[in-house]
Amino acid sequence: MVNQSEVEFVETIVPMDFNYNIRAGKPIEDYLRGMAQKKIMGSKCTKCGKVVIPPRNVCGVACGKMEMVEVDQTGTLQNYTIGHVKITKGLMEPVEEPVVLGMIQLDGTNSLLVSEIRGVDPKQVKKGLRVKAVWKESPEGKFDDLAYFELAS
Amino acid sequence: MERKVAIVSHVQTKHSSDIGMPRERMLFNLVKELHNKVGITRHDVDSYVLCSNDFEAGRTISTVFEDTPVGAYMKDETKVEMDGIMALIYATMRILSGQFDTALVVANSLGGSQFRPFLIMEYQLDPTFDRQVGLINELNAGAFQARSYMDKYGLDEWFLDAISARLLRNGAINPYALRSKDDATPEYVASSEYYYEPLRKLHCYPFSDGACAVLLACGEKAKELCEKPVWIKGFSNSLETCRLGERELYTSPSTKQAAEKAYKAAGISDPANEIDVAEISAKFAHQEPIICESLGLFPEGSAEDVAKNDLAEITGKMPISPSGGGICTYVFSAAGLINVAQCCQQLTGEAGDAQVPNAKIALAHGQDGFCAQHNSVVILSSEEG
Repeated sequence: MVNQSEVEFVETIVPMDFNYNIRAGKPIEDYLRGMAQKKIMGSKCTKCGKVVIPPRNVCGVACGKMEMVEVDQTGTLQNYTIGHVKITKGLMEPVEEPVVLGMIQLDGTNSLLVSEIRGVDPKQVKKGLRVKAVWKESPEGKFDDLAYFELAS
Repeated sequence: MERKVAIVSHVQTKHSSDIGMPRERMLFNLVKELHNKVGITRHDVDSYVLCSNDFEAGRTISTVFEDTPVGAYMKDETKVEMDGIMALIYATMRILSGQFDTALVVANSLGGSQFRPFLIMEYQLDPTFDRQVGLINELNAGAFQARSYMDKYGLDEWFLDAISARLLRNGAINPYALRSKDDATPEYVASSEYYYEPLRKLHCYPFSDGACAVLLACGEKAKELCEKPVWIKGFSNSLETCRLGERELYTSPSTKQAAEKAYKAAGISDPANEIDVAEISAKFAHQEPIICESLGLFPEGSAEDVAKNDLAEITGKMPISPSGGGICTYVFSAAGLINVAQCCQQLTGEAGDAQVPNAKIALAHGQDGFCAQHNSVVILSSEEG
């Protein structure tokens, strides 16, 4: 029998590059409409009162109907990591300057939002820092309108 | 009377970053080895549960060309597209139903050479929010989880280095492991570069090619087919929310829930003392203590004490992952099933240098998703009981 490990293979590249148009549902549509007006929209449970981002129709914990609410743009850093690499389409490469990513609890919310934190020395980052949202100059109703967070003075 | 199910035999590949052959050849060789080991042909197997993933294989119905090499054609065959331990649970239930006496579980993927594991993981994110925002990937999510545990219990990064070092040393005595280092120290691990702080290269799983096959049978049949069946005493699984920002990442409620059910079925009331060895699916060093603590094997927040007192060593009080675990090999789709195979080796006394003396009850764990979102637990015993 041929020893397969000694056979030289010609590799074929099989791309699977599809784009889907998914109807995200009203809560995410409202979130994006909020982005266009520099507002962060969450949803509040009419049963347990919890406020979460991203917004949704039904609370996963209390099963109550949720209503859209605008949330505060200032919050507390609850978790963070300093990225020395970035991953693009599954491929990892080093970055020149370390990037600070945080999990932020916006005031009055019960969930954490992941965002980049800029204008802070990576060595100084710690849990509990107060941060505020920074927007793109001309928001277009897209996810990246909320550009990053910076230290709240 | 309720049926009993046992593992008759198991085989796995020598895992590699590039196994150097097509998946079909790898599976044919693997299952042929199992046939020869047990002394059966494909006609002795009633039911097949295959485990692979369309995204990972790069084609729809990833098992479509696996049927032939594993001998499942013109047979009862089904597929699981999760961790391999779920395929084992499914096969166990098929035998428990009384419809089949034997079942072969085969799991595989080529994460080292065929696809990009971090990209596959991105497709597990919520498509209408997290994937759109585009900030979360498996590594930074893992880093958040590690930080969450460190902040909760006031620990520095040393325990991560100690866990990886222990696993790399264990990997050196596991002939199937991909990555290993027989003299690994925490300092050696700490000298590898940071990916996302606090996670370094050697705190993370290596991209692995590999496969594993496990043959199950009902009690009577298992005794006919082998001398030392390994009995499946209990199993369960549980899943947490997909919202990373709404989970307590320092703990694992889903592992806790799965373990409670599996322990109840197996009649285990004091896991830390009754379980002799555990194989844990931890893709990152910090996941091992989080999962072990939720399994009740160690007290909460004890990662540093466990490492300092060598409690998780093969010679320790509660040996964890004598195979080297996810730091040495992590084969997508097969990782949990490989853990089951490693536990079987321990229970039949075939684990060689990694053997835990007098191991009678073992726990195999499998996970899926971001930050171990989905956890499965299987309790195995060398005694029929």
